[in-house]
Amino acid sequence: MDLGLYLHLPFCKSKCHYCDFNSYPLRDDYQLSSYISALYSEIAIYSQKLKNITIKTIYLGGGTPSILSGDSIYNILNFCKNSFKIDKNAEITIEVNPGTLDKKKTKRLNEAGINRLSLGAQSFNDSLLKKLGRIHTAQDIIDSYYKARESGFNNINIDIMFALPDQTLIDFRNTMKKAISLKLDHLSLYNLTIEKGTIFFESFKEGKLNLPTEDEEYDMYSWAINFLEKNGFEHYEISNFARPSKRSIHNQIYWYNQPYLGIGAGACSFINRYRYMNFKDPSRYIKEVENGKLPVDKGEKLSLRKRMAETVILNLRTKEGVVYQKFYNRFKVKMDEIFNQQVDKLVGLGLLRKDNYKIQLTKKGLFIANNVFREFVD
Amino acid sequence: MLKDFHSNTKNIRNFSIIAHIDHGKSTIADRLLEYTGTISERERKEQILDDMDLEREKGITIKSKAVRLHYRAKDGNEYVLNLIDTPGHVDFSYEVSRSLAACEGALLIVDASQGVQAQTLANIHLAVKNNLKIIIIINKIDLATADTEKVNQELKNIPELKEEEVILASAKEGIGTSDILEAIVNKIPPPSGELNLPLRALIFDSIYNPYQGTIVYVKVVDGIIKPGIIIQTMSNEKKYEVAEVGVFRPNMEPTKKLIAGEVGYIKAGFKNIKDTQVGDTITDASNPARKSLSGYKKVTPLVFCSIYPIDNKEYENLKAALEKLKLNDSSLFSEPETSQALGFGFRCGFLGLLHMEIIQERLEREYDLNLIATTPSVMYQIAKKDGKTIKISNPASFPSKIEIEKIEEPYVKVNIITPSQYIGGIMDLVQDRRGTFKNMEYIDEKRAILDYDLPLNEIILDFYDKLKSRSSGYASLDYEFISYKQSDLIKVDILANHELVDALSFIVHKDKAYYRARKIVEKLKEIIPRQLYQVPIQAAIERKIIARETIKALKKDVIAKCYGGDITRKRKLLEKQKAGKKRMKRLGKVEIPQEAFLGILKIE
Repeated sequence: MDLGLYLHLPFCKSKCHYCDFNSYPLRDDYQLSSYISALYSEIAIYSQKLKNITIKTIYLGGGTPSILSGDSIYNILNFCKNSFKIDKNAEITIEVNPGTLDKKKTKRLNEAGINRLSLGAQSFNDSLLKKLGRIHTAQDIIDSYYKARESGFNNINIDIMFALPDQTLIDFRNTMKKAISLKLDHLSLYNLTIEKGTIFFESFKEGKLNLPTEDEEYDMYSWAINFLEKNGFEHYEISNFARPSKRSIHNQIYWYNQPYLGIGAGACSFINRYRYMNFKDPSRYIKEVENGKLPVDKGEKLSLRKRMAETVILNLRTKEGVVYQKFYNRFKVKMDEIFNQQVDKLVGLGLLRKDNYKIQLTKKGLFIANNVFREFVD
Repeated sequence: MLKDFHSNTKNIRNFSIIAHIDHGKSTIADRLLEYTGTISERERKEQILDDMDLEREKGITIKSKAVRLHYRAKDGNEYVLNLIDTPGHVDFSYEVSRSLAACEGALLIVDASQGVQAQTLANIHLAVKNNLKIIIIINKIDLATADTEKVNQELKNIPELKEEEVILASAKEGIGTSDILEAIVNKIPPPSGELNLPLRALIFDSIYNPYQGTIVYVKVVDGIIKPGIIIQTMSNEKKYEVAEVGVFRPNMEPTKKLIAGEVGYIKAGFKNIKDTQVGDTITDASNPARKSLSGYKKVTPLVFCSIYPIDNKEYENLKAALEKLKLNDSSLFSEPETSQALGFGFRCGFLGLLHMEIIQERLEREYDLNLIATTPSVMYQIAKKDGKTIKISNPASFPSKIEIEKIEEPYVKVNIITPSQYIGGIMDLVQDRRGTFKNMEYIDEKRAILDYDLPLNEIILDFYDKLKSRSSGYASLDYEFISYKQSDLIKVDILANHELVDALSFIVHKDKAYYRARKIVEKLKEIIPRQLYQVPIQAAIERKIIARETIKALKKDVIAKCYGGDITRKRKLLEKQKAGKKRMKRLGKVEIPQEAFLGILKIE
């Protein structure tokens, strides 16, 4: 079985104002070292349990994985290589915070076998970066980017967010132009959402967040799609853009609803029809692993109906859409037989396009894709 | 062997307790029950006579009840005191008046801090109309905010009460209870009925019991009633054999007979609560009285609305629930109705707003139904050009303009008592609601009573809330129906995506139509979420569009991030959104949330 491997490193220097990920400001080095020990243990447990697997991709996400020293990261990946069978061409990505990178560390990451870098830039406007609670400036992004290039990284992504408080369309265009001038390989473009438990949520409740309107969001997003396509990027997933042959292989595993193994606090796995999640709280996670147990908090075995619905929804996020043959190969039933009604309705509404091989979101459907997805869930 | 408590009406006292809401009626009743040993402290809940949950919550008494107290007075004699509890709200004023008609006296409770309120006055008038001896009680004198002297002066200024003595009490602290009991014995006259005349008994309440059928509460005015005799109700001449009679202590206790002057219950195989209407007279079928007791009238609902289940599958449950409620509430009216927008439901009629609110809450709470209730309306009388007169409460059945000769709407007489500094604001409000000024009087130097005639339609929606907010909560309100009056009324229709939404049509005075229409389409624009298509919302009179707003098409609605850890969460979010959409009403291409049908007329 081919698997994607996700490693979660939940610590940050400080928490950003919009962030509802499983991340925590780092207290001290001891916290970090006991967490890393737990990661080793969990990897060891899985290496015993999962035989006959091949790791196709590795993704170090967070939090801020780059908060770890270059040596720590090197050692973790080395331990993975000793524990699992890893494809020799595996894509290995690390998320990097522009405030946390120096030349020595970039070099070490390279030596660790990491071949793809994802920079959490978010914006090139310093005042917006400050509002978001980011610890870096626009210049830090540029510096980190070139350091990485110089160390030989030839596959670099940056994350950009839009629809930020007080952001105008002009601000956003400027950020995008600066991003493109870096000659990126990949760009992820996320619409800001206000999530419970964040600083933004509290300001939002008090009416203190001046967010762009739905129409302005639309304008930013549609402008960005055009702009990126004109500049040689392929819009291959709702929020993702890549130069030719630079798609994120690891993330495509999610959108094609393929199996993956998540290691670390709050990490999710999808193996053998089970999707489950580890304990989110790092101390709890560490305690479970120290007791020799899998640190699984909760999960569900997905019914056939749910797996089919998820497959359709996730596939529709991609440029390829749902390919009938692939659907049939997987479920041994024709997609038409299951979702005929929904598809016809959505085609009628102009939200889906259908041909003899596949269905895809139309341009209109792309912008209001939730209305498409909702049709397929129960 | 059944007990025969007495045969001497000289020692019977029949009385009610009347008060403005929250002035302490039920607590006073509790003290009297405890003092006379009718019920022990341990048995009592907060308010013994109010046994419906809602009653206790809203602090009001909905159904009237009767209790018989035995009291040895200071003169050494044993007395039977029949306490008839009355509904404490203006919606139930007919029921109150029939309960009072069964009494010879009334305890008037006035809160020592709040003083005389609108319903205090309304109750005094009802008591005087029924020739009752009034005993004034100033309650809650223990409170720090009490101003007994001021309240006493307010009461002295009321002509009908000038001569009356006042008892000071605190029901909470048990102060004044024995004084009240002595006053009942010494001041309220015994009933004056004639044992030897043909039977006449006044029905002042009735309840439905699933095992025993309807049980009626009566005061025997003349003659004797006992098991075995054949009785008949005088309004509809239905006959029944009496199975059991008895008194309330406070539970029902059978007796051999009920005689003139006594208060008790009758079981006689009454089938339908509608056959034994409050106010009707029961007589002996073999020796009928020639004249029934005065004051009987058929209760007619004043306020109407339509009630629909959100889920059409719940229609049968709603139907059954309404039937059950009607068994115990002869003033509740309902008939099946269909709406293009809302499907199958019921048009319901109520005595007033509170009654409507109580019924809606009981349906939702006791019967676990999810309902849409349309904006309340009144009954209009329309004379058509073809000579026919129709009565309609539902805007959907409003005839077109060319068919109408004239329209009449119900008017009410409204009394508002308010501290004088709020008079200006209240007058503006009443003026805006098409009120006709009648009179203003000062109760004392700080408070005035305003007297207006108003279309009922103008007060059923949010008048009370507005009145309270304009008077910092101090103004009180009482109203009663006076008559139908001609008005220049029209129907405004609402269209969503060019389709009529019948449940949103409303009837309004011509002068206000444009303003209201504009406000309502604006409000609908806020409430209705963006849809896949642009949706025009229009208001129209006879197909002529008078207001329009456009809900823009949904432009952007897409989950941005979706990776390994998000998939389950995002799927669940989509599932939840989908369930939420199911709760919206789909009209053509447009999905309209429930609240569009509820609150939209509550606008400035």
